[in-house]
Amino acid sequence: MLRNILIAPVRVSAFLGKEIYEILREPRLVLTLILGPFLILLLFGIGFRNQSRQYRTLFVAPEGDSLSQQIQAFGASLDSQILFVGVTPDEVAAKEQLRRNEVDLVIVIPTQALESIRNNQQAVFTLYHNELDPLQVGYIQYLGGVYAEEINRHMLQRVTAYGQSEAVAHQDDLGAARTNATALRVALEQGDSAAARQHQQELESNVSGLELGVGAGMTILSGLDQTSTEGQSTDPEAILAQLSDVRQNTNALGQIEDNRSDYTVEAQTAAKIESDLTTLDTLLGDFKRIEPGVLVSPFRSETYTVASVQPRVIDFYAPGVLALLLQHLAITFGALSIVRERQLGTLELFRVSPVSATEMLIGKYLSYLLFGVILAGILTVMLHWMLGVPVLGGWLNYGAVILGLLFTSLGIGFVISLISRTDSQAVQYAMIVLLASVFFSGFITTLRSLWEPVRVISWLLPVTYGIQLFQSVMLRGSLPEPALLGSLVLIGLVLFVWAWLLLHRLMARR
Amino acid sequence: MRDLNFQIPQGVIFGFIGPSGCGKTTAVRLLTGVYEPSAGRVTVLGQTPTRFSPTTRAKLGYMPQQFVLYPELSVWENMNFAASLYGMGFNRGQPFKRLLDFVELSEHRHKLARQISGGMQRRLALATTLTHNPQMIFLDEPTASIDPILRHKFWNYFKELRDNGCTLFITTQYVGEAAYCDLVGVMAEGRLLMVETPEGLSRRAFGGEIVDLTASQPLDYARLEQLRALPYVKSIQRQLSNTAVRLVVDEAGTAVPQLLEWCKAQNVPIESIEKYTASLDDVFVELVQQARNGEGVDAA
Repeated sequence: MLRNILIAPVRVSAFLGKEIYEILREPRLVLTLILGPFLILLLFGIGFRNQSRQYRTLFVAPEGDSLSQQIQAFGASLDSQILFVGVTPDEVAAKEQLRRNEVDLVIVIPTQALESIRNNQQAVFTLYHNELDPLQVGYIQYLGGVYAEEINRHMLQRVTAYGQSEAVAHQDDLGAARTNATALRVALEQGDSAAARQHQQELESNVSGLELGVGAGMTILSGLDQTSTEGQSTDPEAILAQLSDVRQNTNALGQIEDNRSDYTVEAQTAAKIESDLTTLDTLLGDFKRIEPGVLVSPFRSETYTVASVQPRVIDFYAPGVLALLLQHLAITFGALSIVRERQLGTLELFRVSPVSATEMLIGKYLSYLLFGVILAGILTVMLHWMLGVPVLGGWLNYGAVILGLLFTSLGIGFVISLISRTDSQAVQYAMIVLLASVFFSGFITTLRSLWEPVRVISWLLPVTYGIQLFQSVMLRGSLPEPALLGSLVLIGLVLFVWAWLLLHRLMARR
Repeated sequence: MRDLNFQIPQGVIFGFIGPSGCGKTTAVRLLTGVYEPSAGRVTVLGQTPTRFSPTTRAKLGYMPQQFVLYPELSVWENMNFAASLYGMGFNRGQPFKRLLDFVELSEHRHKLARQISGGMQRRLALATTLTHNPQMIFLDEPTASIDPILRHKFWNYFKELRDNGCTLFITTQYVGEAAYCDLVGVMAEGRLLMVETPEGLSRRAFGGEIVDLTASQPLDYARLEQLRALPYVKSIQRQLSNTAVRLVVDEAGTAVPQLLEWCKAQNVPIESIEKYTASLDDVFVELVQQARNGEGVDAA
C-alpha cells in the first residue's frame, strides 16, 4: 500500500511527460497558439478607431422651406455622426438612394413645422435607414433623438437671443425710471407734494413700459426652461421678481396728499423703488452679457476616472483575449486527450496496468496546466512588454487567475472528452463552448446587457470569471475578488470530480 | 466463449492456438481483467483479475494484438511511458538499451513510432511490455508481422524468460509455433478443444502414433484388411499409394519391429517402414476438423 502511494508520482509522470512530448511534436500548433492571439490583438489595436460611425445623410425638405435652410447648420453641430450629403425635395428618390447604399440615412424634415407647433403639436423628423444590425438600428434611433434635441436647442437659443435684445432695448425706460424714482424721493424728502405726484406719474409710465418690454421676453424665457435656470441670480425669473417688486412698491405709494408735515414713509418707499431699479439694471446688464447658448444649456459634463489607469482599447480587450484563449486551449486539449486514448486503444493497456483513474487524470491535469502556464507566460511577455498592456495587480495574483482559469477549463475539456465517442464530436462540443463564451462571457457585450436568467450561462463559463479577474488584476491593480476566484475554483473542483467519476467508470473492467 | 477450463503452472510457456476469431483475444482479456466473465471463475496469481491489486498488476506484462502506443512519441519515449505506467524507477538506461538491442530497435530509438514499419512497431510493443520485468506475461500474437528469423529469436527469448521464472501466455495463429510452447491450448469456435504438450497434440489428433509402411509390391484389399486386424494397429489413417499405407499405432517404437516380423511371415517385401511425425499444421487441421464434425476432443 505504502509502496503503491510512493510509486504513484512515477505513474502520474508517465502522462505528464507523454502529453508534453506530444504537444511539442506539433511546433506549428504551439507557434499558432502563441502568435495567433498576439497578432490578432496587435492588428486590432492598430486597426480599431475609437470613434462613432459617420452616417452619410440626405435630407428631404420642401424647396424654399425656412427650416430646411438651417438644416445644414444644425447638422454641422453633429458632424462626428452626420455627414451632410445634401437636401432634396424628393423623398422617394432619397429612399432609393438609401436602398442602393449610396447614403446611410435619410432625414425627412417636417413640412409646415411652425404650423404644427402653433397648433400645439410636435413637428416630427422622420429617419430612414437600411441597417440589419440591431445595435446600429438602436444607435440610429438614439441619433434621431439627439438630432431633434439639437434642433430644439437651436430654437431656444434664438428665442433667448431675442429676449436679450428686447431687454436691452428697454434699458432707456429703466434709466428714466431710475431718474424719476430719485426725483420722487428728493421731492418727498423736501415736502414738495406737487413735484412728487408729477414724478410718481412719470415713474408709473416708465414701469409700465418696462413690464411690457422686458417682462414679456423674460416670461417666455422663464417658461421655456424653468428647471435649468433655477437658482441663478441672473435668470429671467430673478429679473421678473425684481420687476414685480418695483411694481408693488410703485402701487404702494398711492395718491400723494398735499400739505402733510411728514412724507417719511413715502420717501422710504421711493428709496426702495430706486434701489430695486438699480438692482434690476444690474441684473439686466448681467443677463445680456450671458451667451444664449449658456442660458439655454447652462450645464455640461466632464468625465474623469478614479481607476488606476485609463486603458486603451487594446488594454481593455487584452484580458478578454487572454482569458478566452486560455479557456479554449485548455478545453480543446482536454477534450481531445481522453477521446484519443480511447481511439488509440491505450485505455486497454491502462486497464491492465496498475495506473488508476486518479493518477491518469492528475497526470493529464498537470501536463496541460504546465503547458497552459508556459503559454500564458509567453503571451504575457508579449502583451506586457511588446504591446504595453499593464499588469498592475502583482504577478502572484495574475498567476493565481491563470491557474484557476486553466484548472476549471480543463475540467470542462475532460468531461467533454469522456462523453464524446470521437475526436470530431469532442471538437464540436469545444466549439460550442467557445461560441457560448464569445456571446455570454462579457467579451463582446457587458453582462449587464443580458437578461438575468441568461446570465446563469455566463457564470457557468470559466472565461466569464477569467475576464473579470484579469481586468481587475491587470487594469485596476486589485487583488482577485475572493468570491469570484473561489467560485471559479469551486466549479473546477466539481468538474474534476465529475471527470474522475466518468473516467473511473470507463476504466472499470467490463 | 464456453468450455474454457484450464490451469497454467507457474514458469511455463502456454501457447494459445486457434483460427482467427476463435476467441483468443477475449481469453486474454478475461485473464488480464479487462473483461469480467459472464459465468465461471478466473484466478491469476491467486487473485480474481477484475480485482487485481495495483501490486499484482505491476507484476503483469500485456501486449495487445493491435499497436496501441503513441505514434507521435519516439521509440525511447514510448518505452519511458510504459515504464512509468508500471512505476519503474528512473534508472532505465541500461535495461532499455538491452531490450532495444534484443528487438533490434536500438538504432531507431529516436524515431517516432509512426515512422517505423509495422514489424518494428510489434517489436516496440514487445519491448514496452517487458520494460518492468513482469512475472506473468500475456502476449497477444506477438510474432505477427515479424520475419521468421526474428520470430525464432523472440521464442528463444521467451524461453529465456520462462527459465528465469516468468510465466508466459502467448496467443498465435502460427500453429508451428506451438512447438516452442510447454503447453498448448487449442481453440476453435469459442471453445477450448484441448490443452496438451506439443508432442501429445499429434497423438490426440490421430489417436496414436503414425507409421508409414511402403511395400515393394501392391497392397491389395485383403492385405490391408489383414493389417487393420493386427492388434497393435489401431487404424489405417490413409492409403498413400497402391504400395504405401499410413497406419495409426499405439507406440511406434514397439509397432515397427512387430510389423517387420508380420511382413516377413506374410512374404510381403518391404521397401521402408518408419515413424511419421505429422506437422503441427496437419495436427491442428485434424483437430479442428474433428471438432467441427462433433467428434469428442476434450480439454485436458
